[in-house]
Amino acid sequence: MAKTNNKTDAKSMKGTVISTKEGLSKAITDFLKQAFEKNCFDTILIPVKVPANDSYAWVLLKDPALLDDANPLAPIMPVQGGKALSSILKHGVTDSSIAAVIRPCEMKAAIELYKLKQVKLDNITLITMDCPGVLPLKDWFKNPDEGEKKFKDIIKKWDDKDVRPLCQICDKFSVPLNEENATYPDLHFGVLGCSDGTGFVIPGSSKGEEILDTVGLTATKEVDKWESKVNEVTTQKRKKRSEAHKALNKEVGGSKNLPVAFALCINCHNCMRVCPVCYCQHCYFDSEALNKPPEVHLMRAAQKGSLLFKPDCLLFQVGRMSHMTLSCVSCGTCEDACPMSIKVGQVFSMVADQSQDAFNYQAGRSKDVPHPLRVFEDEQELDQVVTMCKDILETGEHK
Amino acid sequence: MSEGFEPRIVGFFCKWCTYAGADLAGTSRLQYPPNVLPIRVMCSSRVDPVFLLTAYLRGADAVLIGGCHPGDCHYIEGNYYTRRRVALLKNIFETLKLDTERLRLSWISASEGPRFAKVITEYTENTKKIGPNPAKNKIFI
Ligand code: SF4
Ligand code: SF4
Ligand code: FES
Repeated sequence: MAKTNNKTDAKSMKGTVISTKEGLSKAITDFLKQAFEKNCFDTILIPVKVPANDSYAWVLLKDPALLDDANPLAPIMPVQGGKALSSILKHGVTDSSIAAVIRPCEMKAAIELYKLKQVKLDNITLITMDCPGVLPLKDWFKNPDEGEKKFKDIIKKWDDKDVRPLCQICDKFSVPLNEENATYPDLHFGVLGCSDGTGFVIPGSSKGEEILDTVGLTATKEVDKWESKVNEVTTQKRKKRSEAHKALNKEVGGSKNLPVAFALCINCHNCMRVCPVCYCQHCYFDSEALNKPPEVHLMRAAQKGSLLFKPDCLLFQVGRMSHMTLSCVSCGTCEDACPMSIKVGQVFSMVADQSQDAFNYQAGRSKDVPHPLRVFEDEQELDQVVTMCKDILETGEHK
Repeated sequence: MSEGFEPRIVGFFCKWCTYAGADLAGTSRLQYPPNVLPIRVMCSSRVDPVFLLTAYLRGADAVLIGGCHPGDCHYIEGNYYTRRRVALLKNIFETLKLDTERLRLSWISASEGPRFAKVITEYTENTKKIGPNPAKNKIFI
């Protein structure tokens, strides 16, 4: 049985069978109502449909009756949950406990933010679910009612052709099975591999177990079916992901293609503002540092023969990568927010996979593995780091 | 194309070591190519990867960071962080198929005048070989 958030032995996972006849969302909100009644938490952070019925927003719920309007599996993700959580808990914790009902990528962002000291997770119960992805905002706003219907179908068939491009190639749509030091959500709702109309609620920590005990749903059942399906889908998605990244690399790689990929960028910086792990209050790229007096622009124009306005578009993109790629959780929120339909999320996720690989790191996997830029090794430095920084004199490669 | 091409190399040198090493190379009257534009920083870890990127994207033919040898940083551990950041930037360059060869990190101490001259000579030669930075006259960069 799990005692902490860090279960290394995935085999010991147990769960409780729940009915999902009226949909996974309803199953989760029903569960939350029970847990609320038993005082398992004081507040719930969850997506709720806005009054105009055409979008969803994060709401900190105190009144269980409002759970009827909540949708843990909202069809869209206008604000990344990790960012929502951090805006509540940046400046400390309260005694009251909050249940955050978020997607797996939102939990990953929350963990990164925790390590970057942008959120405190002490009194938080993290609740996630198997995630089929979300619809692109642009498609959704064409017809929200259609979108609702379409998304119901997506959940039922687990069909990913209409979800956001990054959701289509997401290999972390559930809990990190078989991953070393992985941090698990306190509770996870799994439906993959389960027979129709059923699912599992699975505790990932002792806190989660206690909650299940309190609501009378003590986890005793093996969850093998679910596990093997999660593993199967993960393998499929990984393959799809690496193929997609390979194709994208052909398209955008190189000093000729890269500027083309970002040629439509209007420098609005939306991508950065909505990114959950871009947490700086004052971004360098928004600062006066890049606003130069006219002589400087004229000089640059003279040197180059011409100068684009606003200049430094690629500097912003690649510079942002150099600051946060190791924390990028490939959520795709940036791409959703881009008014110019630039494949910004796909490019960032491609770069993130490579850089995180090089540092033997996975953004959001573990609360306990430190962020690679906050630590270092002396003698035992990572091979990749040493090789990348080999001097000409040492290698003699250019002699 | 690179006939008569004199590269412009931007160097970010740590005040305590590489910058002093450059001084020593000068006072020892060592010869090395005049292609480096040195910028003095208090520690190699002062150099945000964005500085390197800025120089590169604005057309510097190559960029060099000079810091104290590992273990010798005046601020104890600054250069270990530098090493990771530079490795990360190079990794990003690799993924995006940009010129990793135009980015260098060298450890050069205050007493290594000859090493300084050697690094600059080699780096300049190599940059001449690979030619001018294509970013130099691209409008959309
Ligand atoms: S860069 Fe884009 S994909 Fe990566 S974490 Fe930020 S918003 Fe998500
Ligand atoms: S959101 Fe799109 S257009 Fe705006 S800065 Fe980012 S990439 Fe450029
Ligand atoms: S003081 Fe020279 S690298 Fe830190």
